[in-house]
Amino acid sequence: MIGIIDYGLGNIKAFVNIYKKLDVGLSVVSAKKDLEGITKVILPGVGAFDHAMTQFSNSGMREAVEELVLGGNAPLIGICVGMQMLARDSEEGKLPGLGWIDGNVRKIDTSRLGSATRLPHMGWNDVVRRRESPILKSFETTSEFYFLHSFCFHSDSPENVVATASYGNDFAAIISKGNIYGIQCHPEKSHHSGIAILRNFAEI
Amino acid sequence: MFLQVFRPTIIYKRRDLEITNHMSGNIQLVKSKGPFFHGDPRYRMCAKTIMDTSDPEIVFDKDGISDYYHNFQQSILPNWHTDDRGSQELQRQAELIRADGKKRDFDCIMGLSGGLDSSFAAYVAKEIMGLRPLIFHVDAGWNTQQAVGNVEKIVNGLGLDLFTEVVNWEEMKDVHRAFLKSQIADQDLPQDAVFFSGLYKFARKNKIRYVLTGANYSTECCREPEAWGAYPGLDLTLFMDIHKQFGSIPLKTMPLVDILQYKLVYRYIYGMRIFRPLNFLPYIKTDAETLLKDKFGWEPFKHKHHESRFTRFYEDYWMPRKFGYEKRRAHFSSLILTGQMTRDEALVRISKPEMDEQFLKQEFEYVATKLNFSVDELQAIFEGKNKTYHDYKNKRYLIGIGARAMAKLGLERRLFR
Amino acid sequence: MLRPRIIPCLLVHKRGLVKTVNFKSHKYVGDPINAVRIFNEKQVDELMVLDIDATVEDREPDYQMIENLAAECRMPLCYGGGVKSAIQAQRIFSLGVEKIAFSSAIVEKPELVSELADQVGSQSVVAVLDVKKKLLGGYEVFTKNGRHSAKVKPVELIKKFSALGAGEIVINSIDNDGMMKGYDLNLIELCRASTDLPMTVLGGAGSLDHIGELIHRYGIIGAAAGSLFVFKGTYRAVLINYPTPIQKRELLLKHMQPADPLLHAGS
Repeated sequence: MIGIIDYGLGNIKAFVNIYKKLDVGLSVVSAKKDLEGITKVILPGVGAFDHAMTQFSNSGMREAVEELVLGGNAPLIGICVGMQMLARDSEEGKLPGLGWIDGNVRKIDTSRLGSATRLPHMGWNDVVRRRESPILKSFETTSEFYFLHSFCFHSDSPENVVATASYGNDFAAIISKGNIYGIQCHPEKSHHSGIAILRNFAEI
Repeated sequence: MFLQVFRPTIIYKRRDLEITNHMSGNIQLVKSKGPFFHGDPRYRMCAKTIMDTSDPEIVFDKDGISDYYHNFQQSILPNWHTDDRGSQELQRQAELIRADGKKRDFDCIMGLSGGLDSSFAAYVAKEIMGLRPLIFHVDAGWNTQQAVGNVEKIVNGLGLDLFTEVVNWEEMKDVHRAFLKSQIADQDLPQDAVFFSGLYKFARKNKIRYVLTGANYSTECCREPEAWGAYPGLDLTLFMDIHKQFGSIPLKTMPLVDILQYKLVYRYIYGMRIFRPLNFLPYIKTDAETLLKDKFGWEPFKHKHHESRFTRFYEDYWMPRKFGYEKRRAHFSSLILTGQMTRDEALVRISKPEMDEQFLKQEFEYVATKLNFSVDELQAIFEGKNKTYHDYKNKRYLIGIGARAMAKLGLERRLFR
Repeated sequence: MLRPRIIPCLLVHKRGLVKTVNFKSHKYVGDPINAVRIFNEKQVDELMVLDIDATVEDREPDYQMIENLAAECRMPLCYGGGVKSAIQAQRIFSLGVEKIAFSSAIVEKPELVSELADQVGSQSVVAVLDVKKKLLGGYEVFTKNGRHSAKVKPVELIKKFSALGAGEIVINSIDNDGMMKGYDLNLIELCRASTDLPMTVLGGAGSLDHIGELIHRYGIIGAAAGSLFVFKGTYRAVLINYPTPIQKRELLLKHMQPADPLLHAGS
């Protein structure tokens, strides 16, 4: 059973609606005890990095999720700020991240955009596959996703970058290392491409 | 669905049987007195079509061939000309319609649901008959994306004008709820009612004489039996009795024209004329689909009547599972009779629903939500005792008299009972 | 490349959808839930649904309706109408909505913007300004379906909202609403210059070329429209429509300025 971590951030209902349509079981996990029977984890997130880290730490679920993912090798996907939380730290905040994928989070470098510089990076953008990954199973090289963020993940190792998007510069749109995945855009709000990502995650 | 309502009249069964007897000489006809469904020892299926004893009135000859087949062979086929004869008639009608439209911005009106029949009829009217039809679309709140997309493509591609009547959804919803609670099989009456009433009212108001429809023999020659919820036209007595018993808000804006008012007043006093162009030229389903696709980017539907989300649900789920009636039997039988499908293909197709279980489950929820029922409430209605229109006030008898009169005048050839 | 957003905007009045002209003469265009479902299937970039009765009737948002609509949306949904507090906003987010449009509440009490931004995050706080031309030139912000003048200039409020932490600004032209003759480009010029926040404009689009014109000038912008996506032809027949992905791409290629660095950014 897939569990989505409900720690007060992210559009949980949107994920619930999609998995219901897909006829795939999804359980909303809002306390440690709800993790029983969960074999895959979705970690959503919106808003500020520190706020998200604090909420997650205070939720009482963090250690159990860590155990499940690092100890039990359960696949996890971090969404938006949920992906950024996988890093060591973020330029946006002072708190350390989970550090599950080596890298840090920095503000999107828009210096090459000139006068058009605007953050957040909001709207539909191309996501370009950089290497094969089960999360992009049966995807074309390029597909469109909805983004809303001002910071992005800088991976230490380029090998962990599955796909990129571009706003002034290329940045990591999808990362993965072992059983851990992160996606910067919002698959729960990206029509068919988003649904396909969530289906692929369910099938990993 | 436009088509159901325009299939206007009735050939009385005795007349039809006489024809059959006369033509076939010595064959013995046995009425099934059903309905009998699959699994019942008395269950039978026509040897030529896939019509069966789920139609309680079906009649078989000694070879197990039903009256649907005989009616087609003896009553429809001899009067159906898609060759030069049809073509000449098509052009003759086109001239009449053009002459009538001289002083208007358009010659005639035609309903367009986005489905194949009405879309192709629009193409024929414009490109083959050289007419300027006004396209009329009634939005009863159940349009699929594909339906509105097809309407847009046809209207754009043919350069026609579109007029839409949007039925007030709160009223529409109230009527749907009332009909579902009434437990009768005829659950598409609310949509059919507003489709044809909206069109006729508009035509009358704008003094448009000619109404063109996509009704046709090619894909509809095997009529859906009345027991399968195909009540002949809008009977306001029935409609209002059901609404009175189960409805909760007044119907202030809904367009409703009673069948007798339409048949008598609209036709004989206002002189409104219905013309079905698709009966006068070769109309092959797959060819028409290809043509519309290539020319306009029109998208084919999985099955007839799928332009409305409700009808799709009703015909693919509600009817077969609650009542045991498969409207597709009639649809496929038409295609079999007109040589567009083999009986074996039809048997395979009908062995499972058009849409998969998961989809139907979601549609059930969608229909419930849209009609303000909880899933449990709709399920309770689904499991409730089935009724028929006989349980409500109606004037079916009167409609029957009118229909028999029409049949005598030779105005309807399809098997109506 | 990042694309400008093309956004249908639907108005809810007496539980049905309507389209207005200059915020008046409501024309009934159908049932919200089926319209939203069709727009979802047409893969719109984003959808905006505004309940134009809630504030005027001084009532709570219709949460059941919002939940039903959100359930059909596989794209960002912005809801507006009658939302006055962070508590209401939280409840609406929990129903599956991404963004909430605020108008009367924040025009009357701009500090609410920072309170909302703190509690629900800036990215979800959309400030909507209904703007009307003044008789003697200049523009003024209105609330309550254009009936009540706030006696303040749009630029002034935009600056204030930006500073207080709004996530997006929507400029809605009352004068151009329903006219289908094009956006009020002067108004947009004034507003666009006054903030760096993402901006969406509404009011006046009557063809894809009007949207193209906007994209040509501003590149990344939200182009919202009501009439354009629900009406068709001379009879204003109600027919939900939206450019296909291919039409959208062609529109961008035709109108995005080649000099726009966004086109060449990245590798």
